[in-house]
Amino acid sequence: MVSTVSDNHLIERISEGDMTSFDTLFYRHYDRVYGLLFRLVGNRVEAEDITQEVFLKLYHHAFAKKLFGSNREHNIGAWLYRVATNMGYNAIRGRKRRWMRNVWLVPDTDDTPRPDMELERMETKTAVRQALARLPKRQTQLLLLRQMGLSYAECAEACDVAPGSVGTLLARAGEAFRKAYQEEVNK
Amino acid sequence: MNQRENELDDVMEQLSILEPTAAESPRPAGPALADLKPQLQPRHNLINTFLRSLIMSQNRRMATAVATLVILFTIAFSFPAVRAAANEFLGLFRVQKFAAISISPDQIAILEEVANSGLTPGELVIVNEPGRTQDVDSLEETQAITGLSVRSLSALGEPSAIRVMDGGDGRLIIDAAQAQELLRLAGADPRLIPDSLDGASVDVNVFASVEQEWLDGTFLIQTESPIVNYPEGLDPIAMGEALLQLLGMNPTEASRLARSIDWTGTLLLPVPQNVATFSEVTVDGVSGLALTSVEGYGSALMWQKEGVVYILSGPSQTAELIELASSIE
Repeated sequence: MVSTVSDNHLIERISEGDMTSFDTLFYRHYDRVYGLLFRLVGNRVEAEDITQEVFLKLYHHAFAKKLFGSNREHNIGAWLYRVATNMGYNAIRGRKRRWMRNVWLVPDTDDTPRPDMELERMETKTAVRQALARLPKRQTQLLLLRQMGLSYAECAEACDVAPGSVGTLLARAGEAFRKAYQEEVNK
Repeated sequence: MNQRENELDDVMEQLSILEPTAAESPRPAGPALADLKPQLQPRHNLINTFLRSLIMSQNRRMATAVATLVILFTIAFSFPAVRAAANEFLGLFRVQKFAAISISPDQIAILEEVANSGLTPGELVIVNEPGRTQDVDSLEETQAITGLSVRSLSALGEPSAIRVMDGGDGRLIIDAAQAQELLRLAGADPRLIPDSLDGASVDVNVFASVEQEWLDGTFLIQTESPIVNYPEGLDPIAMGEALLQLLGMNPTEASRLARSIDWTGTLLLPVPQNVATFSEVTVDGVSGLALTSVEGYGSALMWQKEGVVYILSGPSQTAELIELASSIE
């Protein structure tokens, strides 16, 4: 029988100096954290960099929990998604400040010529990102996490909302997205 | 499946275009982890040192309580939420006196979670990075470097080490929405940060400090009080109230206390209740703050005199430190 050590137990071990527990957590969550960040920032290098920062925060988090005697257990995955979303938005805001463009969630495009199909796909992607950028952060976060396959309970914890309200909030977010997307396409 | 679910499924399908393609997949976790590892080590050592000395080795006296104090400051100010509050707070004053407020481990855990959420109260622009430390040979040399009239503890003789830490300056450009979100997450009232502060700048200038160390583990640190320029329209009482709520005080009590504190000159120090106790004392002829480790590792005194802030700490009782401080000259 294979037993899986819980995330919270691994956090406890990290605070005692067990680096292999950190490795386990990293391997366990790396792909999904990156996946969320890539969806947010749309740029591989930037998503990888922020993923590293998120896990650095996780490492510090483990020690702070120990240091101040916090025994509160929580869903580490949800915690990571929450941190990743906020850091992703920070990066986007920084990008906005740097380039003085009122464009969020739209990655830089290069000037490489592309086949028509790819061009069309890029345009669709841009419209989707533009539409997401017009939504409140929590709606965007909720939609992306759900699209990644998270359960309602996981979405609730990551977005800091009541589990019972996720269905309604998702429906509203979906509606807001469809409206925003239509407006983007009609531009 | 009802219409609402169908519509949501359609949205999910549209969003799937954002999934990374094969070419956009991250590099493998192994190399990514290998790159991250070197960044983990320093923190690991720092915290382990702290844990060993403060928590785990309960029978071992800490070499000096100033380490506790410095680490407390480091930890407290490494939390963006606390740092944000401190920055807001620093914007309102030059240190005239110290006060302390007890903060519970639960509230620290909340602040730590808020801090790790990645939210920041704005854009922190460091113009000159503070903190570079250099060893110097004499107090005269520190005076030449810092311009401070450096005082020392005659009762202990010559210090075994003297260091100068560079000052620095920077500014926080407030993002009101994020600052409000930070307060909300920490259980404080977000309305205490008005929208009108969005984009306002809090400029902070920290001066060089001089640290003297003696072989018995006593430290004396002195520095000129930081200077801060804060935005017009910033209400010191509301900011103080926000800070108190951030530190876990209920709104009614925070409102009452915020009105009784002179926020233009009082540095409020959050003291974790499981780490240290505090009391008001008279030291060096002025009113100061005494901190005592609950584990008996030592004590620290903090006071301000003639525009200079002093921190004296050591593996001693508060009364002994006050006596020692009387030899400062």
